[in-house]
Amino acid sequence: MTVTRDPIAVPDSTEATFSLLRELRRGRGRKQAASAAYWAYLIAIIVVGYGGSLIVTTYRALRHPPPATAAAPRLLHAGPAALTALALLVFLVLLRDALWRGPVTVPQATADWLLGTPVSRRRLLRPRFRWAAAGALLVGAVAGIVPAAALVALGLGGGSGGEVLRLAGAAMLSMGLLFAVATGVAGLIERYPGTGRQVRTATPVALAAAVVLGGLAAWAGLGRLPGAVATVLLWSGPWGWAAQPVMAVAAQAGPAGAGNPAPWWPVALGLLAGSALATLACADRVVAGVPAAALRARARTLGAMSAAALSMNTRGVATAYTGAGTRRARFHLPPPRRRELVLLWRDLLALLRSPARLVSAVLLALLAAALAAVAGHGRPVSLVLVGCALSLGYLAAAWLCEGARLDADDPRRSAQLPFRYESLAWWHAAVPCLVLLAAVGVPAAVAGLVSGDLRPLVLLVVTIPVLVGGALVNVFRGSFSPALFVGADTPVGNTAALSIVFWYAWGTVLAVLPMTVLVSSALGSPGSGPLVRALVIGAGLAVGLGAYAARRAGRLRAG
Amino acid sequence: MGSPAAWGVPAARPLWWTLTVPLPNPPVPPAPSNGPENGPEPRPARAPLLTVSGVSRRYGDRVALQPLNLTLAAGQCVAVLGANGSGKSTLLRIAAGRDTPSTGQVGYGGRVMSEDDPVVRTEIAVVGDMVSAYPDLTVREHLQLVAVAHGEGRLAAGLVDRALAECRLEGHARALPGSLSSGQLQALQLATVLVRPLRLMVLDEPEQRLDPAARRWLGGLLRAEKEAGAAVLLATHHTELAAAVADHVIVLSDGAVTAEGPPDVTLAAQP
Repeated sequence: MTVTRDPIAVPDSTEATFSLLRELRRGRGRKQAASAAYWAYLIAIIVVGYGGSLIVTTYRALRHPPPATAAAPRLLHAGPAALTALALLVFLVLLRDALWRGPVTVPQATADWLLGTPVSRRRLLRPRFRWAAAGALLVGAVAGIVPAAALVALGLGGGSGGEVLRLAGAAMLSMGLLFAVATGVAGLIERYPGTGRQVRTATPVALAAAVVLGGLAAWAGLGRLPGAVATVLLWSGPWGWAAQPVMAVAAQAGPAGAGNPAPWWPVALGLLAGSALATLACADRVVAGVPAAALRARARTLGAMSAAALSMNTRGVATAYTGAGTRRARFHLPPPRRRELVLLWRDLLALLRSPARLVSAVLLALLAAALAAVAGHGRPVSLVLVGCALSLGYLAAAWLCEGARLDADDPRRSAQLPFRYESLAWWHAAVPCLVLLAAVGVPAAVAGLVSGDLRPLVLLVVTIPVLVGGALVNVFRGSFSPALFVGADTPVGNTAALSIVFWYAWGTVLAVLPMTVLVSSALGSPGSGPLVRALVIGAGLAVGLGAYAARRAGRLRAG
Repeated sequence: MGSPAAWGVPAARPLWWTLTVPLPNPPVPPAPSNGPENGPEPRPARAPLLTVSGVSRRYGDRVALQPLNLTLAAGQCVAVLGANGSGKSTLLRIAAGRDTPSTGQVGYGGRVMSEDDPVVRTEIAVVGDMVSAYPDLTVREHLQLVAVAHGEGRLAAGLVDRALAECRLEGHARALPGSLSSGQLQALQLATVLVRPLRLMVLDEPEQRLDPAARRWLGGLLRAEKEAGAAVLLATHHTELAAAVADHVIVLSDGAVTAEGPPDVTLAAQP
């Protein structure tokens, strides 16, 4: 090999580079501090303004926690499986976070300007990992308040403020340590990207395990779960260890005679703390070796997400997230010859190429139908259950409107199509309606034929277009206007928060609220009057929502 | 096709080039070949600094790059031409250690190429896609940062002044990136190669977003770097630029080498 120039010695430039960056930014420190103070002020105002009454209620609940009810023993039996399921889900979410974000992240500019230089990666990345670990510990501790509050609300917080604080402390410590374990493992996943495949493979297994644990919790609530099973669950891993201190404190504070399902909780806590230390130490040692390619990809994703979040563009956030790692199926569908079918073909292709979206939407729709069926058997029919079922159905419809979203993201995309942009809303309704009808309508028809009651099927036929119409109204809402933050002052306060919520959920409200009333009424009455009313008003609503979505599309194109 | 002379004159050399001493030539190893159908393989006068051996890249079922060999010695420039999607950027990303080949391997100075290797980070300058600049640092401060990060702290001021002058960014030295045009941002990227030591430059369409005058300057810069001993791997759409600076041209089509050889012969044969 000819070397025409000497190899260049790797310089020890790290300290000099960091010093230069500090020096260059010294003058801007005050500006950044002012910006941070402004954000802290804004958050404090929001917390006090909107959460003030909640804080007062929580404080009162702490001083005088609700007493245990007759259901307390059953809740305590269900606790091990339920808390283990919750901890497992949290653990899974934190590990999956490492697939696209991870504990070690650098800003995009740092990725582009410093990763390609001889600056020490250890000096660059280690502090970031340590900050991330500390942050995870803190966030975990704060998140621990949620299960503690739920247990207190269920009457398992004991009889005094001290017992409530002990419960909260146990939950905060457990969750903080669980977050720390997950951060350590996530650091290792980020360092060795090949392990991401195993996390992806394990995800459905873990989800299934969480569902099984939920079922076991329900079973235990009825008092039929053997104690040995609860013990196995509580020692099944960090998720079980994290549940033990909470269960032990709740059992001690609970009704007399309720057994403690976690008598060895100090050992479990020790194991959790040891695991946290071990995984964090391992990750800390190897984190300097996180590949630059992984850091660059994460920086790009986070940059796109931050930009979208700052402009309140939820779709942009979702697009950046899915772009970070979602694999598209290479599915081919021959294009149609008739021009009327081109958008149907395009929408169907969009769904078939992201099978996870299609499967999730179908599962959601089936869950919604099951919930509606349960609600239909109750007397009187529960508005809340029907509302939940329709909300799930709305989510399924919204997930299936991906083709419409692709056109709404950039109106120029559809410039070559032989349709007016305003009419796209109508065309895009076809595939979601057909998919939902096929997914839920077929089982509903079979069930109807078996039972001899076809009313649910009839309701389904009119409900699906309404939900899809509502989803399309939201799809074509356009970009967020900062003017919504201003709102209007009224005697009961400023309308900004309400305006923002309605801006995001206007289509949902228009579709779900009236249909909840109509469907509940039709399910709860044996006569044909409410059914016909639901059919007629629902059909009108579907047409109206379609027209409204088309009008919004027109405004979107006009800018 | 324009004359190579039209691509400008060699630029002033950064200081470190004048301080380095060429080593004696070792025995010449046989260069890998892309196959007999690709024309005669040039006999390398010097052993390669960069060795791309049997490298291919697949994305799922799609073949982005078919097995390809390439060697690049110090003071040599290889230009890669081809239509959009022909595999140029894929080849350059792999050659710079920023992507992993499906088959084959890339060597740099006797080691396996990896962008995470400190030696690679020290010796190879990569100019590719538009980078994201620090919004709070000026153009001059960006160049200072690169110079200091590459251990040129003591010489940084002089190097930065020279780079700003060469890249015609003097008037924007105090400007923040947000106020620069895309062409000026590209010039800033190119200026970074002037404030740091390097042995290999990997440039993916460096002429994009540059105006004609800046492109002429770019031609001069690359020739000067090459003559000073830098190895240059260049992907470009501009046959004039390739003719002006390259010693060897590779033409890619659908990921496969369709022609290669000296620029005058290879480029003349292109439609």
